[in-house]
Amino acid sequence: MGSATLQGRSERATIAALRAGRASLGDLWRYGRPAGMTALILLLCFLSLYPMVMLLYGSLHSTPPGIPGTFNLDGYLGIATTENVVVLANTIGLSFVKTILALALAVLLAWIVARTDTPGRGVLEVLITLPFFIPPILTATAWAMLGNAQVGTINLAWRWLSGSDTTLVDVYSYGGVVWHMMQYSTPFIFLFVVDAFRAMDPALEESSRMSGATRWQTFWRVTFALMLPVTTSAFILSFIRGVESFESAVFFGTPVGIEVITTTIYHSITQRAQPDYQSATALSFAALALMFLLLVMQNRLLRGRSFTTVTGKGYSPNITRLGRLRWVTFGVCILFFVLTVALPIGQLLLSSFFKFFGFYQADMLTFDHYRSVWENSSFWRAFRNTMLLGVAGATATMALGGIVAYVTTRTRWRGRRLIDILAWLPWMMPGMVLGIGFLWGFAILPHQIPIYGTLWALLLAYVALGTPVAVRVTSAAYQQIATDIEECSRVHGAGWWQTLGRILIALAWPAFAVGWVLIFFGIMRELSASILLYAPGTEVLSVVMLKMWVGGKPEEVSVVGLVMLVLVLLFRWVQLKVIKKRISTL
Amino acid sequence: MLRRSVLGLLAAGSVGPAWAQGDDWAKVVDAAKKEGKLVIYTASIGSVFHKAVIKSFEQKYGIAVELLEARASEVRERVRVEQSAGRFLGDVHHNGSTTTWLMNRDGNFQPYGSVPNTKNIIAPFSASNVVIPAEVISYCLMVNRNLVKPADEPKSWKDILDPKWSGKILSDDYRALGGGAVFFVVMYDTFGKEFHEQLAAQKPVFSRDLANSERRVARGEFPLYLPFSLQNYNNLKGLPIKPIVPAEGRPYVRFDLTMLKNAPHPNAARVFMNHYLEPESQLVFANAGYAPVVGGVVEKTLEEIRGLLATKAMGTTTPERQDAMLELAKQIYK
Repeated sequence: MGSATLQGRSERATIAALRAGRASLGDLWRYGRPAGMTALILLLCFLSLYPMVMLLYGSLHSTPPGIPGTFNLDGYLGIATTENVVVLANTIGLSFVKTILALALAVLLAWIVARTDTPGRGVLEVLITLPFFIPPILTATAWAMLGNAQVGTINLAWRWLSGSDTTLVDVYSYGGVVWHMMQYSTPFIFLFVVDAFRAMDPALEESSRMSGATRWQTFWRVTFALMLPVTTSAFILSFIRGVESFESAVFFGTPVGIEVITTTIYHSITQRAQPDYQSATALSFAALALMFLLLVMQNRLLRGRSFTTVTGKGYSPNITRLGRLRWVTFGVCILFFVLTVALPIGQLLLSSFFKFFGFYQADMLTFDHYRSVWENSSFWRAFRNTMLLGVAGATATMALGGIVAYVTTRTRWRGRRLIDILAWLPWMMPGMVLGIGFLWGFAILPHQIPIYGTLWALLLAYVALGTPVAVRVTSAAYQQIATDIEECSRVHGAGWWQTLGRILIALAWPAFAVGWVLIFFGIMRELSASILLYAPGTEVLSVVMLKMWVGGKPEEVSVVGLVMLVLVLLFRWVQLKVIKKRISTL
Repeated sequence: MLRRSVLGLLAAGSVGPAWAQGDDWAKVVDAAKKEGKLVIYTASIGSVFHKAVIKSFEQKYGIAVELLEARASEVRERVRVEQSAGRFLGDVHHNGSTTTWLMNRDGNFQPYGSVPNTKNIIAPFSASNVVIPAEVISYCLMVNRNLVKPADEPKSWKDILDPKWSGKILSDDYRALGGGAVFFVVMYDTFGKEFHEQLAAQKPVFSRDLANSERRVARGEFPLYLPFSLQNYNNLKGLPIKPIVPAEGRPYVRFDLTMLKNAPHPNAARVFMNHYLEPESQLVFANAGYAPVVGGVVEKTLEEIRGLLATKAMGTTTPERQDAMLELAKQIYK
């Protein structure tokens, strides 16, 4: 009896201890969640709201921070001109046309790669995404040589073949600006949608076909409809990027009088004796308001609809057998690759072995550009810094984006909308303006906080700039995962973190991988904020490339661009190998 | 006797300060070496000649140089923001004379004290107690040799108004800060508004991608480019291009050196400024196509450059009327 009493006491004590343990975990959950949310909001406020507040001050003040002046609305009143209406129409028109065209092309390419039996799809997937990773300055240079009206290679070939003296293409035109922007938008949207296509349960399409729908009806009503969160996210991200695009307009638009918002801002900041920050920031906020409307529209479009395609049931990705048509789809992919990669990169590769870009004479053959880059200590320092910032930045951004996306798409926690908006803000401000916001914001921090003039300044700016992409990529993936899988995990005793890691991240990780690569190479290319935040010793590749370019060494820039391309190929190869292995185990 | 004494005093008087100056300067150099470091903010991006002078400075004095390169307006904004936040990180500022003038007006600099080599600066340039002329960018015309026969080459700036050049001129933008704006001001001052009205009728194509513009002309997209910065000639050697300084001369713009306010390494800054004005340093710039600001250098310059630099300096822009001229350019070149 004595021992039984002891045993009973022991059991009660154990249960009490377990209850106490649960109570403390419950307390942790109860109090930890608001604390976590507060921390998340504070972090996002620092990364995105803080520089924006600095810019808002700049738009409402007659002088930039640190100089005595007065508050007024001159910046906003000054943008209401006929000239700016034309600029706005140009900006929206160009971005809209290029986004529609790029979206259509990207969806087609993604479907071909993910859901058809087109030959060589693995290789095609890598090739299609390559243009996104080439610095725009290089493709612009290559296209300026290929498509100028006077002596462009394409026009010379056309005249030689046709015997006419007409011009086939002229990149210095609206069409040229759209085409150059599309080269970045198409692979960007492709990267967004291809894994969503791949992760879709084919049972939905099979049901449609079994119910008598044609292949096209099934694609349009089922496949494409279910892709709406991903495609609208990609559309909006791409449209906004188009509004903020600078390189295409400045290279191919400005010479023929086509001005857009970013070139106008650039003029205000860098082309006047007295930089007009008030006008530049006011114009940026006007553009931001416009883009915010788009986001509201997207929310309305998607509200109350279910886009679940990944459920608890096992499935394997469905492949549409195209028969002979598969060679047509193969041809489409190859044509895209030839036009956007082979032509410009071929030009760059060729040029990198000649003394001068575009002068292919035997006596000008040289390895000097490779040698020069190899022996350039600034390049190697920048390479190390960029790799460090790229890996740390992409990882931190995806971690932050994954958490933000979870909170905004999988919970009903208070404050989630605020988090969503905060994470979006940096995407809606042109990079060159946001860079100034970071500069102002970081410089006035107390000197004890070692951010300004260090790698931290660049890292924080990169995380802020990349977070919108990370959130969109992961939230689109989360939205496709049924909540019952998550609930099932919790019912079986898994904790919140376990469920997040083993269910959500495990299922959405191809999207994580894509997001990581997008952000990593976004960091490699970022210049607007980098040029304002770097300090001696913390140079990054984009800054070194700018120095080479302005210093009259475009051949060396193309060597660096080719190094970046090799890195891309390596990354994408590893990524796709891992994804393939992972998909086969699903 | 008295006469001899007076002469002796005069001699001592004239030599004395020189001795004292030399002695003081040695102390400045010692102090600079003790500082051991120098931070330069420059708007001269990617210039190998600038780096060559910096390297020779490092080798000569053992002072490590850190270089921050950015575009003129970006350098200006960084300095302004840093100083208003109480961060004094840079020592020497190197930028175009317009931006330097604006920054001087805003109080971003401090007097540098004395720099011995400023005495070698030649007219029309001169140093103030804050600003030291550094080197001069000269602008001329550039033609594609394959497209323009020697007989057709413009001899005067006015020759580009000939209808045969209509639609065939690639140009830096006159409506934006830079070489184009300098060209606009100097032509306006020399030939009046009519020159620009006629040039606008020639429909020049504007591009701000300067390095690429020169190559576009070299590749034959356009036969004529202006204003061509002479210092880029070295980068283009081997291409079918030719720089031409018209009879009236060449517009120019000066780059200046200044000491940033509360510079952490003021002595190193002064020694660097002095080094920059050494004939050997100026010769590096002159051989690259920059006009030197000290005497006795042009004569030693490479022969092919010497002829171009020996031409008349036509004129330059002034910061006070920069905005008004940019506005005028906008009205004429729509």
